[in-house]
Amino acid sequence: MTAPVGKKPVLTVKELVIEFQTERGVVRAVDGVSFELYAGQTLGIVGESGCGKTVTCLALLGLVPTPPGRIVSGSIELNGRNIVGLGDREMRNIRGRDISMIFQEPMTALNPVFTVGNQLCEVIRRHTDATRRQAHAQAVEMLAVVGIPAPAKRMGDYPHQLSGGMRQRVMIAMALSCNPSVLVADEPTTALDVTTQAQVIEQMVLLQEQFDMAVILITHDLGVVAETCEDVMVMYCGQVIEQAPASGLFTRPSHPYTAGLLASIPRIRRERLQELPVIRGMVPDLLSLPMGCRFSTRCEYADQRCQAQIPSLRTATGTDAAVACFKPLGEA
Amino acid sequence: MEILQFALRKIIGGIPLILGVTFISFLLMVYYGPDKTYELLGKNPTAEQIESVRAELGYDQPFLQRYVTYLREIVTLDFGNSFSSGERVNSILKRTMPISLAVITPGFILGNLLGLVLALVAAYHRSGWIDKAIMGFSVVGMSISFLIVVIAFQLIFCSSYGLNWFPSRGWDVYSLSDYLRFVTVPTMATIFVALGYNTRFYRAVIVEEMGRDHVRTARAFGTPPAQLLYRSVLKNSLIPIITRIMFSIPLVVISGSLIIETYFGIPGVGKVTYDAITQGDQPILKAVVGLTAVLFVLTLLITDILYRVVDPRVSLK
Repeated sequence: MTAPVGKKPVLTVKELVIEFQTERGVVRAVDGVSFELYAGQTLGIVGESGCGKTVTCLALLGLVPTPPGRIVSGSIELNGRNIVGLGDREMRNIRGRDISMIFQEPMTALNPVFTVGNQLCEVIRRHTDATRRQAHAQAVEMLAVVGIPAPAKRMGDYPHQLSGGMRQRVMIAMALSCNPSVLVADEPTTALDVTTQAQVIEQMVLLQEQFDMAVILITHDLGVVAETCEDVMVMYCGQVIEQAPASGLFTRPSHPYTAGLLASIPRIRRERLQELPVIRGMVPDLLSLPMGCRFSTRCEYADQRCQAQIPSLRTATGTDAAVACFKPLGEA
Repeated sequence: MEILQFALRKIIGGIPLILGVTFISFLLMVYYGPDKTYELLGKNPTAEQIESVRAELGYDQPFLQRYVTYLREIVTLDFGNSFSSGERVNSILKRTMPISLAVITPGFILGNLLGLVLALVAAYHRSGWIDKAIMGFSVVGMSISFLIVVIAFQLIFCSSYGLNWFPSRGWDVYSLSDYLRFVTVPTMATIFVALGYNTRFYRAVIVEEMGRDHVRTARAFGTPPAQLLYRSVLKNSLIPIITRIMFSIPLVVISGSLIIETYFGIPGVGKVTYDAITQGDQPILKAVVGLTAVLFVLTLLITDILYRVVDPRVSLK
């Protein structure tokens, strides 16, 4: 990762392992994930559904449903303090104040029976000593900051009276209202239409600079990653398989899976319409994973060693990327 | 203004319901109910005596004409005199209604409140041992017949075999302490019987609400448990809760008080209705059936308005 000189990371995740007890057995949803995050930086987490990206982020807020979920080992240091195993009360103080999360579905993520103003003030008053009036003023200001026109008037609106984009802006306002050091955005634009997506992303980038936050962006949309993230982490079956600066990852992917993901983005400006390349096969069942590299069953370069041993993350020769592969693309 | 218009529309819409209910009930009581003629006459009545009693009871008129009279009675809220005692139906109801309400209300409110609280606790600790214990007791409560509960409670609290703290029957209320003495055991019985059903129902509603996105959002912003349950969960599951409570009101007022009042010898509407059914006392039955139908329509109306109050997304149309 590109570590700024002389700065301490706001968030350090080390060897995080999370398991879920299911009816058919224990599933390891997150398997040894580590990363660091610095203020002002954006980390993109990319991967297919079920690869463990959302669970990783829920763990950062202590929101992994327990039971059935359980953080087996590893640590999460937020501003220098390990938050794994903190009590409920301490965790509640951290959520929304030191680390905030915005969710995928702005349509359902807000409480439908309270006005947005009420919900904003609620969060502000929980984490600060603001009086009712101060909280109200601050809420109006936050709505203005996220680009909502006539914010004072919008305060009295219920979520169903706002458009999808507006609701997501309200979510962002709520997330930023206590000036957190880390913002986790779980596919914040997936449910929005394309023009709104662009506006919301632009707003988030602006706000990140303004508030000097560290942002974790979970997304399927590699285009958004390319536009906003400094670093990208690609996850597959609960493991990080490639971690690299965004610029390098898109031009020179190291892991065959990353290459496959990039190749499967439709490109409209191609001269002739071709069949879209796909990664063949299916994501393996987390209960019956392959012996060796988890991608080996679908990888066209896999040999016997790939099927027998699990590769660990290492720096690929000639790049800034860390890759978990025996035969990374640039090296062959 | 919007609410007034809405109310008017709803009431007009409720008229067919009232007509249907009263027509069918009246048909049944006229053709299949007991005939009071010979009960009122002495031995060996003459043909003229029979004739005059039948005229007095209104039995000699054609059915439709009697039904129209019934409708007029509902509109004017005047149901004539009881066939059995000759007392005015209105004054019978005026005497017994408050007793029934006094008997049934505490159990109804406490049963629902307790059910809600237990359901919230169970749902919050979902699939933990607290949840399992509460749900276990609910099933036990649901499985025991009401009759057994009444008899058991009377034995435990009202007899020399048990604690003997309360009277087992009757209603002799002149002060608050009298009221508490007579109302306690029936209330406990009602709560015991209703609690299991209420808890299970409310728990299902609340568990569903707890899985919603906005509850997760609230958690992600550090909402403490009590506030989470109140603001996010309870406030959002009020529609099914209100529906259940409101729709059980007409049933509880009539059938709930019928059983309770019979077993505890309380002279309320339930007891009066029960006696009127067995004796074919048509004026009382007509009043009870008609008023229940009207109560139902009003309940529907109030329920709809309450939906609007608790959920800003609902519009009155």
